[in-house]
Amino acid sequence: MTPRKLFRHETILALFVVVALFVLDRQSDRFFTLDNLFNQGRLMTEVGLIAIAMTFVIVTGGIDLSVGSILGLSAILLGVFWKSLGLPLPAAIGLALVVGTLAGLLNGLIITRFRVPPLIATLGTLALYRGIAEGVSQARSVRGYPDGFYVLGQGEVWGVPTQLWIFGLAAVVAAVVLGYTTWGRATYAVGSNEVAARFSGLGVDGTKIAIYAASGFAAATAAVIFVSRVSTTRSDMGTGIELDAITAVVLGGTSIFGGRGTVVGTLLGLVLIQALKNGLSLAGVKSDGTVVLIGAVLILTILVSNLFHRNANR
Amino acid sequence: MTGAADPARRARPSALARFVSAYGQEIVIACAIVGLFVVVSAINPRFLGANNLNTIVSGNAYIAVAAIGMSMIIVTGNIDVSVGALIGVLATISGTLAVSGYPVWVAWIAPLFIGAAINGVVGTLVAYGRLPSIVVTLGMLSILRGGLVSFTGGAWINNLPPAFQIAQARWSGIPAPIWFMVILTVAAFLWMRHTAFGRSLYAIGGNAEAARAAGIPVERRIVQVFMIHGTVAGMATMLFATQLRVIQSTVPPNLELTVITASVIGGVSILGGTGTVIGSTLAAVLFAAIGSAMIFVNVSAYWLRAVIGLLILVTVLVDMARRNREFRSAR
Amino acid sequence: MLRTSLAAVAALSLSTGLASAQSAWTGGDDLPTSPLACDGAAAAAEAKPYDGGEPTDAPDRTGKPISVVDVPKLIGIGYFDATSKGMSEAAGEMGTIEATTDGPVEAKIDDQITVIDNYITKGVDGILFAANDPVAIAPVLKKALGAGINVVGYDANSEPDARQWFVNQAEFNGIGKAMIEAMVAEIGEDGAFAIVTSTFTTPNQARWISEMEAYAAQCHPEMTWLETVEAQEDNILSFNQANTLINKYGDELQGIFGMTSVATPASADAVTQAGQCGNIAVVGLATPNAMKPYVESDCVKSVVLWNPVDLGYAAAYVLRAAADQTLKPGDTSVEASRLGELQVINGSEILLGDPFIFTKDNIGDFDF
Repeated sequence: MTPRKLFRHETILALFVVVALFVLDRQSDRFFTLDNLFNQGRLMTEVGLIAIAMTFVIVTGGIDLSVGSILGLSAILLGVFWKSLGLPLPAAIGLALVVGTLAGLLNGLIITRFRVPPLIATLGTLALYRGIAEGVSQARSVRGYPDGFYVLGQGEVWGVPTQLWIFGLAAVVAAVVLGYTTWGRATYAVGSNEVAARFSGLGVDGTKIAIYAASGFAAATAAVIFVSRVSTTRSDMGTGIELDAITAVVLGGTSIFGGRGTVVGTLLGLVLIQALKNGLSLAGVKSDGTVVLIGAVLILTILVSNLFHRNANR
Repeated sequence: MTGAADPARRARPSALARFVSAYGQEIVIACAIVGLFVVVSAINPRFLGANNLNTIVSGNAYIAVAAIGMSMIIVTGNIDVSVGALIGVLATISGTLAVSGYPVWVAWIAPLFIGAAINGVVGTLVAYGRLPSIVVTLGMLSILRGGLVSFTGGAWINNLPPAFQIAQARWSGIPAPIWFMVILTVAAFLWMRHTAFGRSLYAIGGNAEAARAAGIPVERRIVQVFMIHGTVAGMATMLFATQLRVIQSTVPPNLELTVITASVIGGVSILGGTGTVIGSTLAAVLFAAIGSAMIFVNVSAYWLRAVIGLLILVTVLVDMARRNREFRSAR
Repeated sequence: MLRTSLAAVAALSLSTGLASAQSAWTGGDDLPTSPLACDGAAAAAEAKPYDGGEPTDAPDRTGKPISVVDVPKLIGIGYFDATSKGMSEAAGEMGTIEATTDGPVEAKIDDQITVIDNYITKGVDGILFAANDPVAIAPVLKKALGAGINVVGYDANSEPDARQWFVNQAEFNGIGKAMIEAMVAEIGEDGAFAIVTSTFTTPNQARWISEMEAYAAQCHPEMTWLETVEAQEDNILSFNQANTLINKYGDELQGIFGMTSVATPASADAVTQAGQCGNIAVVGLATPNAMKPYVESDCVKSVVLWNPVDLGYAAAYVLRAAADQTLKPGDTSVEASRLGELQVINGSEILLGDPFIFTKDNIGDFDF
């Protein structure tokens, strides 16, 4: 894909985002305030982190449906490590991140060693990880974390919500890796034509395992931020977040068949969805209406973008 | 093929071996079902009771029926994540018609057409708009889910007329859902294997360009198969909406995942091109049986989902091991 | 292949081996219980100091029209449809409240938080809520209080300092007692029963089950709890689970508790379709409309609930009173029009009343 074609979708999307922001701003004067924008950024971080990792996954032609369950599992284990095992909080957090990464690693192994298609593999681990979360937690929540912990999800650093710094850092790192490193090029290669990539000597399996592990890590990080934001853990946390993330990634121009996509596109997709969810509500549209509109926007955006890409392969 | 060095080794495998390799996944699932029943009824003989078998099969027949349509979609290399929302919407329409005084057969038949229409739109976007099916159905999922709540305002539908409850009927002593499930599965299976239309679906899933070159009208087929899937979803709705005397106005949670899992575990390859509806029906029955078995065996309710997830993964791994072994030995 | 299969079987056996029936009732939480006395009237609730939150710098809303948003656990359930109806009735009577109901389309706490957050930004005067999780919802509610918004909860509480008042439909132990007594009346002192609930993480249901367990242990120790099954908020699943219970226990099962307005009608339908009306009692929480067919056919004798329409009605009045400052911390009762005077209990809770029992005689009077 030449850069010109790559930019086409992102440009259209950026245009949509600008139009949407403009329209929503006209509907309510509370929309375009710094306070509100920061707040939306805060709410967007968890899906955002997962979506950024999901971009890599989908670019390789795969998919990861288990991220929501990994989020739930990491959240529960954070509580268990801290409360039941009595570990100091930083250690508990670190361990929860490790478990999430391992869960992603397991996904990668199932997909590469056993050659199970990613959809099926992650469908199975979706149920398994969620089930482990339920079993371990016995449906109890863990609450009462030390106050310092809440700075992560509810506090600010230099006037900007804490998690936005993390999100911003992740976005920059991901964009650089995907766009400018050999590693990123390997990702595109695997997605465009896996057989050719393998014959070119690229470590296809290694790349994939690393990407799914990163997806697990992102979900675990999102879990820690989420727990900090709502000050409790529940075993049903993150249910359905995988579809939100996939929506953002696909909206951002990443092809579900692999080989095409950028982190910038995903970010634009995230912004558009969050802006709609917030702006529509401020304009007086209720939740059910918002849900319908987001669905329609998804279809329309991809349709319009496709019309500009008549000769693009499916 | 290279020249046969040893005629005996190159001899054609027996008919039985061919049958086993062609229907391997279906056989694995059937064995799993039998194995499950044997083990669980040894622990608690009531598992084999007629009432329980009825609960397992009839109560979940709507999933098997929905999986028939889903299997067809997946065979062509597409997917539909909105089927749960679609069934929810169709059930509400069906119930509303029934309590508004329309004859019950109208309430039964209307979802078939509406389902076809809605999915016809989806199919057109996929085929002619060249949008990936996961994207379109993701969008449609949101539209249907939100639309359903907007339309009903959250109110349930009560006072369904008794004549509406087709799922509770019994014909020749066998509950209607089982008839639906068996007849539709057999019909779909024969149709997919033995008609040009059906076989073209496998062709499209295997390699769409080759199918197109062979003269198959790929776009038209895709629209048609989505419409058929919508109609089948309508039939699933008939079973779903008429089981109880009230219809919920929310989308049944996780229905699409269950249906997709049933199709996929049943052997329909997500890469398109292989698998049968018999597999998906057997898989749906297997899941229903597992759910019931967990209760009979006293699996701690907190670990229920973990065990089911493990079972899914194990089935998948065993199947992949089998396919990989076949692939290697077929060289 | 053989090795994989053997490993699979081993893993499965190991995992199912994790199962063993719990000695405590499954589905309850581990918070302390306070069962009521076995006979006689409910004990009077003792006075506690006010422990609710306070809005910061709330503008003076006395007598002025206010806009209020109601955020239930989810929309699409008949129960919250009924509470919403009660609020509209109250709004209509008062004429000074504009009430909208908006909530997530699924019972998810993250979605609920987002909805509330949006309305804070939009600038409403009052928020009514029924929480999906008492702790998780606290931060966003405190934010609302910080913005000067009046916050009143109903049906499902949050942490006390995150809201001003909570309208409690009935005390948890009152529900526990009513349910157990209704079941004992039908199946006797030594009956065996099972429970169909939504999920184990739903706080209200978990509390009720714990209170039921404590009350039964205290007053009817001969009763046998068999099992609790989850059925989400899906009525077909509830139906199938109830059927499985009937099939598994056969004659041993004498009663089924339905813990949600989804589970109870589905369980009643299962009992009806299995031809076990009269053999298996169904007692549970449900809305009257859904239960009418079963009560009229005598399959279900009594339905325990409170009146959700009244609950919404009361919540709206409480919010108005809080906004007008006619209800202040330390008050012991509040006036709620057609409901009369409601008592303040537990510091910042307002009690709707005793659980209401719907029977064949009165169920026809209600339409929700």
